[in-house]
Amino acid sequence: MESPLASVAPNWLKAPTGTERAWIGLALLWCVVLTLAMPYWHFKGKQNSTGEAYTVEPAKFAARVQQFVESNKVGEQNGVPIVEPAPGGDAYMQAQMWTFYPILQLKKGQTYRIHLSSLDLQHGWSVMPINMNFQILPGYDHVLTITPTTAGEFPVICNEFCGIGHHQMTGKIIVTE
Amino acid sequence: MAKQEKAADVIDNEGAHKGDQMHAAPGTFVLTLILLLSFAVYYFANWKALADVWQVR
Amino acid sequence: MTTMDPTVEDALPETAVEPKGNHAPGMARVCATTGLTVDLTAEKFIKLHAVFAVVFLLLGGIAALLIAMTRWSAVHLLPADWYYRLTTFHGLNMLILWILFMEVAILYFAATALLKTRLASAGLAWAGFVLMAVGAVTLDTMILMGTSDVMMTSYAPLRAHPLFYLSIIFVAVGTLIGVINFFATVYIAKRDKTYSGSVPLVVFGAITAAIIAVVTLGHGAGIMIPTFLWSIEVLPSPDPAVYRLVWWGLGHQSQQVNVAAMVSVWYLLGAITVGAKVLNQGVSRTAFLLYILFINLASAHHLLVDPGVSAGWKIWNTSYAMYLAVLASMIHGYTVPAAVEVALRKQGHDKGLFGWLGAAPWRNPGFSGFFLSLVVFGFLGGITGVTLGTEQINIIAHNTLRIPGHFHTTVVGGTTTAFMALAYYVVPLIFRREFPMRAICRAQPYVFTLGVVILAVGMSFAGSYGVARRHWDVEFTGATHAASFDPSVHIFLGMVGIGGIIAFVGLLMFVIPTVIAVFFGKKIEGKMPAW
Repeated sequence: MESPLASVAPNWLKAPTGTERAWIGLALLWCVVLTLAMPYWHFKGKQNSTGEAYTVEPAKFAARVQQFVESNKVGEQNGVPIVEPAPGGDAYMQAQMWTFYPILQLKKGQTYRIHLSSLDLQHGWSVMPINMNFQILPGYDHVLTITPTTAGEFPVICNEFCGIGHHQMTGKIIVTE
Repeated sequence: MAKQEKAADVIDNEGAHKGDQMHAAPGTFVLTLILLLSFAVYYFANWKALADVWQVR
Repeated sequence: MTTMDPTVEDALPETAVEPKGNHAPGMARVCATTGLTVDLTAEKFIKLHAVFAVVFLLLGGIAALLIAMTRWSAVHLLPADWYYRLTTFHGLNMLILWILFMEVAILYFAATALLKTRLASAGLAWAGFVLMAVGAVTLDTMILMGTSDVMMTSYAPLRAHPLFYLSIIFVAVGTLIGVINFFATVYIAKRDKTYSGSVPLVVFGAITAAIIAVVTLGHGAGIMIPTFLWSIEVLPSPDPAVYRLVWWGLGHQSQQVNVAAMVSVWYLLGAITVGAKVLNQGVSRTAFLLYILFINLASAHHLLVDPGVSAGWKIWNTSYAMYLAVLASMIHGYTVPAAVEVALRKQGHDKGLFGWLGAAPWRNPGFSGFFLSLVVFGFLGGITGVTLGTEQINIIAHNTLRIPGHFHTTVVGGTTTAFMALAYYVVPLIFRREFPMRAICRAQPYVFTLGVVILAVGMSFAGSYGVARRHWDVEFTGATHAASFDPSVHIFLGMVGIGGIIAFVGLLMFVIPTVIAVFFGKKIEGKMPAW
């Protein structure tokens, strides 16, 4: 055996033996498990990020959000409209320095297509306390087909740095039984 | 101890492959098995945590 | 107990007294301790890069302490603007400046000393160094002036001062010139036949790091140049999704340069501290090759919850690529300690399963730093990295403190600790200065690692409750809608603060003796004193 600091004869390719061989076999097997886990969850699991998205101009997205708010508004909190989309339907949340707009009111166990986009910088959509996190980019309508499975009030916080007001950027999702 | 011998066997580059490549490192093998076990525990615990959040596609 | 604490010469090839390389007369010396031939031009540049590296490490460390004291919610030291400014500063000084300066030093050392050759070009080395230094100083100045509070990632359309991008381009191009000089040096060594057969394993690892560095810096140019042109209003804003994809070709792969360099340092330190030999050259070299082949795709880890990238694309890139690169790390994670075990058993420490481990030279900071780096990188860094980088699991981790919790165990607990351990040999062998305060040096790897582990575990737990990274206020004071976390996060954020203090003390325990040794240390004439 040579020092790792010494040059070696070029015929260095040799099959591993003993415990080294056993470890490489085990490690490879584990890598196969890791590799298969993701496609398995994609088909059998209930939490997947499929990245469904459409390009959208920020002004057009803002107009759609406004239309969505006007036709589905059910109340107001902290000066922000509470909007209840039809189960199975589309819902919108717009990120902008430093607010999420509007408040969404959803029904537990119902599925919604939530459209996320930004009017300015990149933002992060982080639902507390369940800790689900998705990226929001300006110019992209990011669609999450989401089914809330717990009821309550869920703050949304921004977790992508977006300037000096970043840590004050919050929103809200209300899930009713 | 045995400094001369060790020094000699590192210069011996050309004949380095003569002799047995077998080595015994049972302690390291046990350490790596502990690593694999911790890895599996942490990894599957995270899948479990993921299964508890809202459904999303 | 000299047998317990083998000195460097045990591990290294004895060479002739006169250098036999391709050096001009008087341009090389034979190291009295290792017998390696040290090219005096390369030695000068190794010193320059290493000194600059340590300066940026200290600057980044001071910023680290201040931001840790801010994340510690009970202390909440800095105002918001300085928190974001110093987070930007910390990331760039640590991940870019300290690491890149140190890596160029390692590349120059590996090529010249281990292949017994002269440095290809002093002119190129100067050009690279000056570009890097000018870029680095400009970058730090622009950040501290408050013109570029954009975080290390500078995600477009968040916009920094044009000089921010330009200085990063300078650092990248300077590093690229250093890498080119490294390849030229390897080439002339081969041409002049200064070594026979295949290059040593450590040089093979260094070549791996250098190849990945070229790909990395290519991505860096690919994104930073158009972003710079946007900042001076020549080009329109880069598409934010494209920016993220290409930027992470820089951001993720540059960390793989670190991994390849760190693993090379592990092999190097195993050899010079306990006389470890390569158990199977083919296995170790193939593992390095896997890094080159598969790591490229791993930048997908940062886009796992992004819009516009399909599940198929994410799963393919995450699984196919990543796990063969993970396999490579798992292989090194066996071969490196196994080589240490075999060497120590051969020296007579053959009792039971772990007798060799007990007999290892734990008082030698070159050994303890290297071994702690290996353990922290594997057990904490590797396991968390693979898990968080799993496509679906990323949903409960993206942009939370779990992410910095992971990479502080790879880049700090792993790479930085390994590079510090290397310094315990670089200073006596290259600077030829003796370390003062040796008791402090002996304790340093333990203190630093303890701090980093507490910090990283605190971050990981806080992040699992949803606490965001790069976020000033866990109380959301003044926000439209109230938000807060589980109260236990304050305990974990307290760990971030306390771990940060301990790690900072460990950092000073490294920087102070190193600086004193380099500038005022006792000159070493013959062999270096054994650790």
